[in-house]
Amino acid sequence: MLLKSVDNIFWLGRYLERLDDTARLVNATSHLLIDSHKDTQFSWPVLLDVMGLDSKTALANYQLPPDATPEQASIEYAVMAHLISNSASTVSIRHTCSQLKYNARSIRQLIPRDMWEELNKLDIFLQQHCQQPGGRQQRYNLMTEVSRRCQMVVGVLDGVMLRSDAFDLFNIGRHLERADMTTRIMDVMVLQQLQPTQIKRPKFRWTSILNALGGIESYHYYLAHQSGDVDAIDYLLTYADFPRSIAYCLNRVAASAKGLPHSISILQQVHQLQALLKTEPLTELSTEQLHQLIDHIQAGIINLHKVIATPAENLSRAQLSA
Amino acid sequence: MSVKSFTRGGYPLTENCFDELVSSDGSVRPVAAAIARFIDKHGATELCQRQDQLNQTISDMGVCFTLYSDGNNIDRAWPLDVMPRTIPSTEWQTTSAGLKQRLTALNLFIDDLYNKQNILKDGVVPADLVLQSRNYLAPCQGISPRFGVWANICGTDLVRDEDGRFLVLEDNLRVPSGVSYMLENRTVMKRVFPELFAESTIYPVDDYPHQLWRMLASLSPRHSDVPCIVLLTPGIYNSAYFEHSFLAQQTGIELAENTDLFVEDDIVYLKKLHGKQRVDVIYRRVDDVFIDPQAFRPDSVLGIAGLIKAWAKGNVSIANAPGSGVADDKVVYAYVPQIIQYYLGEKPLIDNVETFLCLDPKQKSYVLANLDKLVVKPANESGGYGILIGPRSTLAEQQQMAEAIKANPRNFIAQPTLNLSTAPTLCDGALEPRHLDLRPFILQGKELYCTTGGLSRVALKRGSLVVNSSQGGGSKDTWIINDEV
Repeated sequence: MLLKSVDNIFWLGRYLERLDDTARLVNATSHLLIDSHKDTQFSWPVLLDVMGLDSKTALANYQLPPDATPEQASIEYAVMAHLISNSASTVSIRHTCSQLKYNARSIRQLIPRDMWEELNKLDIFLQQHCQQPGGRQQRYNLMTEVSRRCQMVVGVLDGVMLRSDAFDLFNIGRHLERADMTTRIMDVMVLQQLQPTQIKRPKFRWTSILNALGGIESYHYYLAHQSGDVDAIDYLLTYADFPRSIAYCLNRVAASAKGLPHSISILQQVHQLQALLKTEPLTELSTEQLHQLIDHIQAGIINLHKVIATPAENLSRAQLSA
Repeated sequence: MSVKSFTRGGYPLTENCFDELVSSDGSVRPVAAAIARFIDKHGATELCQRQDQLNQTISDMGVCFTLYSDGNNIDRAWPLDVMPRTIPSTEWQTTSAGLKQRLTALNLFIDDLYNKQNILKDGVVPADLVLQSRNYLAPCQGISPRFGVWANICGTDLVRDEDGRFLVLEDNLRVPSGVSYMLENRTVMKRVFPELFAESTIYPVDDYPHQLWRMLASLSPRHSDVPCIVLLTPGIYNSAYFEHSFLAQQTGIELAENTDLFVEDDIVYLKKLHGKQRVDVIYRRVDDVFIDPQAFRPDSVLGIAGLIKAWAKGNVSIANAPGSGVADDKVVYAYVPQIIQYYLGEKPLIDNVETFLCLDPKQKSYVLANLDKLVVKPANESGGYGILIGPRSTLAEQQQMAEAIKANPRNFIAQPTLNLSTAPTLCDGALEPRHLDLRPFILQGKELYCTTGGLSRVALKRGSLVVNSSQGGGSKDTWIINDEV
């Protein structure tokens, strides 16, 4: 494959996973609200903060439709519009899908016909159905459908794509993004607990997050088979058998990187991230410390991304002239 | 079989036009019998439903073309009419032989022009006409590409006259496009009409990508290795990018832009993930004057510096070879029958459309006196641009054209307004005749190959003769149907 295509195929994997995980992030909040006491204050802007935005700026002068109902005029509506339907928002599902399409188009020659078709169908579906954030129940179904369609694309790819550098880079992109998004979804929980609130400290349960990540049963399995003091945080960060844990994603990145010319640089970064997970006594972390750890992991993921996306800068001289 | 079977309300044949599916006495042609039975059985409503299904399939498959409009690029869904166009296989055999004959002669002609120029010395084609053409590229003199073949991929536009005879309208020898739509049209139609494919013997078209690869591979200057073949595209914003990426994907060759290639010691290399790789064959989809700023246009941002030198040394093949365009000049077109006779000693199997050359004073006077009846074309444009269709033009347009002809007679030819053939086309729920042409694709490397049928382009407006997709044209799947007993 062309050197130039590295970036596109890698981002194709990242954007596809980001679509799926953004949908899960939205649904994690639905679960949180369902599972909490009716008077619990939920901080909607946190959802934008965890995506790396300054929620105050993002929500300032938010353009609501002129015929907005009182429900739509709420902060919940604005945050959801920013995450789902506003194509000008860099974290919205519609924007991510446009980016996905752009990258797919750039490397069409690497994409099998069946996957190309599935990507088109995904795009058509999202552009049609994500025009509005919708009410909670409608939204829940829509987000579930978004996740399902993303997985269709991955499934088709897995069934027909040549096992090549492009396939490896796609999978690296997917798992890097997944690790990143799992930390962000965890951060929703952490930041909710750090919110100043007039009422008693909100008691959100990790169960909601685990539900949205499709990991509730395997968490119970984990508890039943693990000795010592463990919790959902250990599980999401270190349980390498759960395919949305950070540990699993890093293993997959390392395994997929082996055949790439710049694998040495990639593996070095992966090891640094793995070391970060091992040194922390996770169950003893305070909420603030957990938030800091998540920040460190995210910084490590950014470094890893840089190494992967710039193979030419991470090759030895001998490799370049080969 | 009655015509009424097509529309229930009757099918209005166009006067003095050959219809592809319906004879002048109103009966359905034998090759269209299965289609007529389908419509008889299911009716127009079902046809409309299939058209909807077809449109949905095209959007799911992402078959599109790009229009440049107001400086923006717009992806449009590819327009395909639900009604196929049918051609009997026995007729296609002679047509395809004629197309191969024509390309063989044209390649002998180009090779001669850049080398011995015998045809000019013998006065068969006027030397000035060729040597002054802007498509005659002096840096190509003295070069003879592999097999002496310059135009490896040719898209020849065919039309039928009112008697149903195929005529060549023009030869596209530079960067002919459209073959991807021929292939995708078939894929879509098979999904939409599985029963019709089961019922008739419709010749397949899907060996084209493999034939294209074989032809390109035959051009490789190195014999021992698996050749490295690259499709050179201007990039994702080009109007034909869909086709470029599609063909690269279907043939398994690399899709590269100029920035992915470089020349070192007269060898072309590709920048790959694991290092540089020597390139053997470049299927260029960039106009030749843009491919090397050192040889041709210094302002080109699409080119690769040093490419022409590498090519001239025989280190890389380029398809189509730079300079091939000299033979798709519309003035040279008028001489193709003589060219075929000169090199092959044969009569053309497919005739040209009658053509008047404005560089000849007598013919120019005739053209100027008959602008309201003729179709006038600039010699070097494509895509249907710059054409005057006499009977549909205003007086002002005719006067403007007259001035242009007087200023530069060499640059214009004229042809009678043709009664292009028609085929039933679904328009607002009913079948109406629409004019169409046919672009088959012919490959020449070590061997010759012609597509089974080609891309049928149809003018969607009633009475219109403009079939170009950039100007509101649509397309039809072309069925070569076995009619041998």
